[in-house]
Amino acid sequence: MKKLLHTLLLLLVVGAAHAQDDIDSLIAIDEVAVVGRRPMKQIGVQRTQFDSVALKENIALSMADVLTYNSSVFVKSYGRATLSTVAFRGTSPSHTQVLWNGMKLNSPMLGMTDFSMIPSYFIDEASLLHGSSSVSETGGGLGGAVKLSTRPKELDGFHLQFAQGVGSFSTFDEFLHIGYGNERWQLSTRLVYATSPNDYKFVNRDKKLNIYDEDYNIVSQYHPTERNRNGAFTDFHALQEIYYRLTDRDRLSLTAWYTASDRELPMISTSYAEEEEIENRQREESLRTLLGWERIADRGRIAAQAGYIHSWTAYDRKMSLGGNSSTESPSEGIPDGTMEYSRNHLNTLYGRFSGEYLPSERWLFSAEVAAHHHRSRATGKEVIDEEGTHRIGFKEQRTELTATATARWRALPWLGVGMTLREELYDDTLSPLIPALFLDGELLRGGKLVLKSSLSRNYRYPTLNDLYFQPGGNPDLKPEEGWSYDLGFDWRLGQGKKLSFDGSLTWFDSHIEDWILWYPKAMGYYTPDNVKEVHSYGIEVETTTAWRPTKDWLVELHASYAWTPSLNEGEPFSSADRSVGKQLPYVPEHSASATLRLGWRRWEAGYKWCAYSERYTLSSNGSSITGTLEGYALSNLSLARNFSLRWCDLSLKGAINNLFDKEYITVLSRPMPGINYEIFLSITPKWGCKKSQQ
Amino acid sequence: MKRLLCVLGWLLMATMLLCQCSESDNDNPNNPTIDPVEVPQGLFVVNAGNYNASNASLSFYDPVGNGYDNEVFAKINGYKLGDTAQSMSIHNDTGWIVVNNSHIIYIIDLKTMREKGRITGITSPRYICFLSDEKAYVSSMYSDQLTIINPKTYSIIGSVTVPKNTAIAGHTGSTEEMAVIGKYLYVTCWSYEKTIVKIDTSTDQIVGTLEVGIQPASLVKDRNGKLWTICDGGYEGSPVGYEAPVLCRIDPEKMTVEARYTFSKGDYLSKLRINGTGDQLYWLNNGAPYRMNISDTELPATTAFDTKESYFYALTIDPENNDIYLADAIDYQQPGIVYRYSATGKCLVSFYVGVIPTEFCWNK
Repeated sequence: MKKLLHTLLLLLVVGAAHAQDDIDSLIAIDEVAVVGRRPMKQIGVQRTQFDSVALKENIALSMADVLTYNSSVFVKSYGRATLSTVAFRGTSPSHTQVLWNGMKLNSPMLGMTDFSMIPSYFIDEASLLHGSSSVSETGGGLGGAVKLSTRPKELDGFHLQFAQGVGSFSTFDEFLHIGYGNERWQLSTRLVYATSPNDYKFVNRDKKLNIYDEDYNIVSQYHPTERNRNGAFTDFHALQEIYYRLTDRDRLSLTAWYTASDRELPMISTSYAEEEEIENRQREESLRTLLGWERIADRGRIAAQAGYIHSWTAYDRKMSLGGNSSTESPSEGIPDGTMEYSRNHLNTLYGRFSGEYLPSERWLFSAEVAAHHHRSRATGKEVIDEEGTHRIGFKEQRTELTATATARWRALPWLGVGMTLREELYDDTLSPLIPALFLDGELLRGGKLVLKSSLSRNYRYPTLNDLYFQPGGNPDLKPEEGWSYDLGFDWRLGQGKKLSFDGSLTWFDSHIEDWILWYPKAMGYYTPDNVKEVHSYGIEVETTTAWRPTKDWLVELHASYAWTPSLNEGEPFSSADRSVGKQLPYVPEHSASATLRLGWRRWEAGYKWCAYSERYTLSSNGSSITGTLEGYALSNLSLARNFSLRWCDLSLKGAINNLFDKEYITVLSRPMPGINYEIFLSITPKWGCKKSQQ
Repeated sequence: MKRLLCVLGWLLMATMLLCQCSESDNDNPNNPTIDPVEVPQGLFVVNAGNYNASNASLSFYDPVGNGYDNEVFAKINGYKLGDTAQSMSIHNDTGWIVVNNSHIIYIIDLKTMREKGRITGITSPRYICFLSDEKAYVSSMYSDQLTIINPKTYSIIGSVTVPKNTAIAGHTGSTEEMAVIGKYLYVTCWSYEKTIVKIDTSTDQIVGTLEVGIQPASLVKDRNGKLWTICDGGYEGSPVGYEAPVLCRIDPEKMTVEARYTFSKGDYLSKLRINGTGDQLYWLNNGAPYRMNISDTELPATTAFDTKESYFYALTIDPENNDIYLADAIDYQQPGIVYRYSATGKCLVSFYVGVIPTEFCWNK
């Protein structure tokens, strides 16, 4: 009876603090040990795991850069340190759920996550869960989920690392890591500071300047070479981690991530305003804290987490130019007015309780309950009226409760099945039951070839802005509803041999109904509605080939490709609507990336490549001058040399980005930088550290 | 030859009439149905495009031959029109296209469609109103400065500061549509404003202000020399307030509201326009066209005529034959469509234009 209760308790409870991934990996089955034995938790799961080399490649990278070159998801970016969003399988950025140590990072107001705000140096583990595979971890991932986590470094003694990056356009990146660890404690402080005027040069193909004769006739016109205007940024991030081993089985953790960012929003390519006349700036300050407890037992694990997020974002748009610049009325009140002004405050309380139980080698049960409580306040301009002085805007709160239960069963040595049931309660709206089914069959022994499949239904609730934004918010919105399935193969050949070849090939198919779209009202503001129905399907391929011909050499090639038709199958707006049956705007049909790594003794060379096919900017896919964005491929090259001195380890690295100086844009009227360079120096002093795994 | 073309044109037109609003399915801008340079008169459609996407464009339609062409400016000049085109006005043989978020006014030669010059340095230009060959006024959405330009030299020669709503901290002020009667210029103050301002153009001094209602946008002049405006009433939670939209007739001399017609709260009113003879008003309410004689004493109960199921975004009336042109932006993310209706409400023809057709401009 006691045992049963124990089991039930474990089942009822929570998921993962840090041990996102399996108990298998926690209970001493490390990556290496995995050979020939497939983790129960990954039955039927379509997952892309990033290795630490990709994450820690250089300090200047954000998670947006890592995803661009190491996966086939579509990263839509306006350039460095500007909004970068990630979309899976032809869906939109708000269909990508992002978890940081189990806590949701998606803005409850906007729905999406800005990956340019996540320095890759703060992330120790990252993986993508494609489509249905996200359901066991989080709801609302109609496209999928990105899981990010930090981990203790298992230091013994002190550890210090400082890295300095210097790049084109006066870009400076600094990184500092201070760590200390012993048997019980693991402490780590990481700081990242990046600053740049980001004023790269480009030939502006969108405008022409005139050359006039004496009578003011145009005699010639030319595309000017301009600098990226109003693009400066200063980003600061600090990450503090404290881990304490209470007993052999219990671990406590405290993680706090602070961000302060001040970014200008670059001017569009067709703006004829002068840079100094414009102020277009976004600032953000946020603190994310997590307190966790985790107990690992012989046959399971339980964990509890409590978290708090505070975020403050400010957007200001001002302009001062005008007729007043003329000589006749130089002092006529320069318009100093604010065109747009917004301040958003967000407080989120988070709690989660999870458990996993392995009654036998063939069963794995896991369950979790999680709660997010958001309090948001969006304020705009200040108004003085009969009621006194007040700010326009909205103040809303929402409680999101979720419960998930998963059972995985290795029915036969070669056959695994899994099922997840998920329930979500948003305030007083209960979602229908969200089911996901997983299937996994070993076709060749030792995991050499595995067939995988999953099927799920999913929902995504409207964001707070969708519901309440002023003007335009629509409180009558329904949640978006989707279902999807996928079927594919995983292979792992030559494990532990000189030449290994891993990979996966997946077919996916998904439908999303009541897709929320914002469109303008006659009065000049946008309002959202459940208007579209989207059918996306396609193929995802990923391969990793590693070759170690001798001890000194390493050659590794990682490549991925996705084919993602994503079609609007909604009702036409009117008989004139030509968007039905067409590819969604800004979703490339083909995307690919590759990284080649060469290592020889203390030298490392890297070649990164990504390519996207043509994207449509219009829902009707019509061809016009601005209707399509050309496909493009980008290449980056890097070379690094590691030195081991008596008192420190040194690493020197040089990188060339956009090697072939390709002129390209990912978003209309946002030209991107041409060839540019970066140099990094990393110093890791040896004093004070007995042993380090860094 | 010319006659033959003319006959052909009329034949085509007749076919169109018979075909009842036949859609011109040739919307490929690389394959235009006409060369606008060859057609001396017609209708320009200003397509705003998406904010910050720089996909504004200019379309041209020939009401006689029924041909049309899209992306006229970019195709002929070799560069983009810019971001959020707002309006176009014609003065002598030049077209003045105001591109709001590119902060530029392009002046094109109507015979060649080529740029003749440009004016930059205006905060948020929206509309131009010409007074003479050497003086015109440019309104600005995000500014209390009404800019004065010299159309001959394409230069800014001054500005008039209009009063702004001081109840909103940091507010910019805003000017929108204009009309000239005698030596006076009238301008609506729209965004978060409530007034119409009267300016003596000989001194460029403000000689009157009239509070009409929340957010007066459009301004037209009727055959009796009266001004008409529609106040859109704001929206729920707007810093300027929220009230039922109103249509007002204004005595421009005394600066008083002579008549006030109130719509229902929640109606979306836009694009008040008047026919060529100045006796019939048109507007859009919740995307449907309405018509009212200036002598009517109450608002029309029904739409001007039955239309397609579209939600219209822009409207114009042929100043000569009273044909009505209605533009539908569809999902605001694809080229919009313009429907041409006869005064009796018969749909004559339709043609695809650019993204978010927002204003029209007649070259007649």
